[in-house]
Amino acid sequence: MNCPSSGMNTNPLPQKVSGMSMNSMSTYKSSSGADHFFGSGWDPIVSLSQGENFGVSSMVSHCEFATSPYPVVMENQVISSTANLAQYPSDPSFVELVPKIPVFGSGNFSEMVSSFGLPETARIANSGCPPNYTPNKDSGNERTSTNVAQCFEDRQISEEAAIGASTNGKTRKRAPESSSPSNPDKNANEERQKDPSGESSGTVKEQDEKKPKIEQNTGANSRGKQAAKQAKDSSNSVEAPKEYIHVRAKRGQATNSHSLAERVRREKISERMRLLQELVPGCNKITGKAVMLDEIINYVQSLQQQVEFLSMKLATVNPELNIDIERILSKDILHSRSGGAAILGFSSGMNSSQPYSHGIFQGTMPSIPTANPQFPPLHQTILDPELQSLFQMGFDSGSAVDSARLKSEL
Amino acid sequence: MNPKTYHHISSNPSSVKSRFTRGFLRAFKKIKRQQRLLPTSSSSSSSNPSPRPYLYGRVKIAADKSLALAVGSRRAWSRALLWKIHYKAWRQRSRFNNKKKLLKENKKNKKNKKKKNDDEEVGFRHAKELRKLVPGGEAMDLCSLLDETAHYIKCLITQVQVMKSVDQIYSF
Repeated sequence: MNCPSSGMNTNPLPQKVSGMSMNSMSTYKSSSGADHFFGSGWDPIVSLSQGENFGVSSMVSHCEFATSPYPVVMENQVISSTANLAQYPSDPSFVELVPKIPVFGSGNFSEMVSSFGLPETARIANSGCPPNYTPNKDSGNERTSTNVAQCFEDRQISEEAAIGASTNGKTRKRAPESSSPSNPDKNANEERQKDPSGESSGTVKEQDEKKPKIEQNTGANSRGKQAAKQAKDSSNSVEAPKEYIHVRAKRGQATNSHSLAERVRREKISERMRLLQELVPGCNKITGKAVMLDEIINYVQSLQQQVEFLSMKLATVNPELNIDIERILSKDILHSRSGGAAILGFSSGMNSSQPYSHGIFQGTMPSIPTANPQFPPLHQTILDPELQSLFQMGFDSGSAVDSARLKSEL
Repeated sequence: MNPKTYHHISSNPSSVKSRFTRGFLRAFKKIKRQQRLLPTSSSSSSSNPSPRPYLYGRVKIAADKSLALAVGSRRAWSRALLWKIHYKAWRQRSRFNNKKKLLKENKKNKKNKKKKNDDEEVGFRHAKELRKLVPGGEAMDLCSLLDETAHYIKCLITQVQVMKSVDQIYSF
C-alpha cells in the first residue's frame, strides 16, 4: 500500500502532467467553479472569480494542479483508506503530506469536489476520508496547512495544495485573524491553523457533519492568507513554501476586500472601454485608457459639432417643399440609413486627417454664408455616387421611386 | 424587401432613429412655418447670408430635444438633456425669478465618492472633459459614464445621419 501511494506521490510531476492533460478539459470547466470556490477565500482568487477574464489561463493551469490530484487523492484514499498515517511515515516528504491528504481529502476534497461538481469523487472522498480524518484531526490539520503550501510549491503534492487552496478559498476571511507571516514554519502554521480553525468554523458553508473539514478549512484559510501575503514577496518561487495555488492574476496585488471590489470595478471599466473602442472608428489599434479617452472625447466633440453645423445648414434651408414630402422624407431617411453611414465613411475617407468627417465641415463652412446653389453641387459630388450605389444595392423599389420623385420635385 | 439593405436598420419599427426622424421633422417644419410667418424673414431669403442666429439655435434645440425624446427616459443622458432644455427654456421665460436658487439646486449633484477614485483610473482631465461633453455626466460614476457615453455616441451618430439626409433632401 505504501509503495503505490508513495509512488504516486513521489512522482507527482508526471502524474500531474498526465492528470493535467487528462483533466485539462474538465479542469477548465471546473476552473470556473474553482474560481468561485477559491474566490470566496483568497482575495486574488476572489477577484479572479469576479473578473473572469483575469488570468483564466493561470487559473486553469493552477486548477489543473488542483484538480489533477483529485484522482490521485482519491486513489490514495481508496487504496489506503484506513491507515494512511501508518503507511506514509516511510516517506518523510509524505509524512506531512500524507496525513493531510486524507484529512484534507475527507473534508476539503468533498468540498472541493462538490464545488467543482464532481459528485463521484466527492462520494469516494467522503467514504474514504472520514475514517482517516479523525485520527489526523489534531495533527493533520496543523500540518496539512503548512505542508500544503510547501508541497504545492515544490509541486510534489499538488493535491494538498489543491485541497488547501480550496479550504483556503472557503475560509479565507478568517485567516487574517490568525495569519502569521512565517509560512515555512510548520509549527507556526499549525498554531495559526488552530486559531482560525476555531474562529472560522462558523464561516464554513459546508454542512455540520464535515466539522473536521471546517477546521481544515480554517487552517487552510489562514494558510492561504499567509500565502497571499507572501505571494507578494515571491510570486512564483518554487522553493518558498509561502506560495499558494491560488491563481494570482496580478503580482503583488492587495488582497483585502477593497482591492477586490476595485478590481471588479476596473474590469467593468475596461469592458466598457472596449465597447467604446468598437464604437469609435479607427480605435482598434489604440491601447491605453488615456489615448482611448482622448479619442472618445474627440469623437463626441466632432459629432456634436456636426449636429451644430447641420442645424445651421438646416436653418438656412428654404422650406419650399410640400408637406406631402414629409412622409417620403421619413421613409427615405430611414431607408437611407446605410446611405448615411456610407456618407459618413465616404467623407471620412475623403479627409484622412480628420476621420470624423471634418471634411464635410470644411466643405460646408464656406458654403453656408454663400448662396444656396452651392449646396447641391457639394452634395452631389459627395453623396450622389453613394446614393446611386446604394440604390443599385437593391433598395426597396418604393424607396428608390420615392427618392427619384423627390429629386424630380426638387 | 432585401434584408441586406435593412441590416443597418433596427428591426424595431419604432426605433430611436425612426422616432427621432419623425419628431425632428415635425419640429423642423414647425420652425420653418414660424420662420415663414415672421415678417422679417422672407421665404425667398433662403440664401440669406446671415441667417438668424437664434434660428439655428432653435433648430439645434429641436434636434436635441427630439433626440432625447426619442430615447426617452431610459437613459440618464437623455433625461439630463431634456432637463437641460426645459431648464433653459424655463429660465428664458422667467428671468425675473430666482435664478440663483435654481442654480444652487442644479449644482447639488450628488458627488459620488467613487467619482474621484474612478477618475484616477483614466485620468482626471479626461474624465472631466468627458463629463462635460455627455449631458448629465457630472453626477455619474465612471462606469455608468462610459456606458452612457457609448449610448450617447450611438444616438449622436443617428442624429447626424438623419439631419444629413434631411439637409440633403431639402437642399436639392
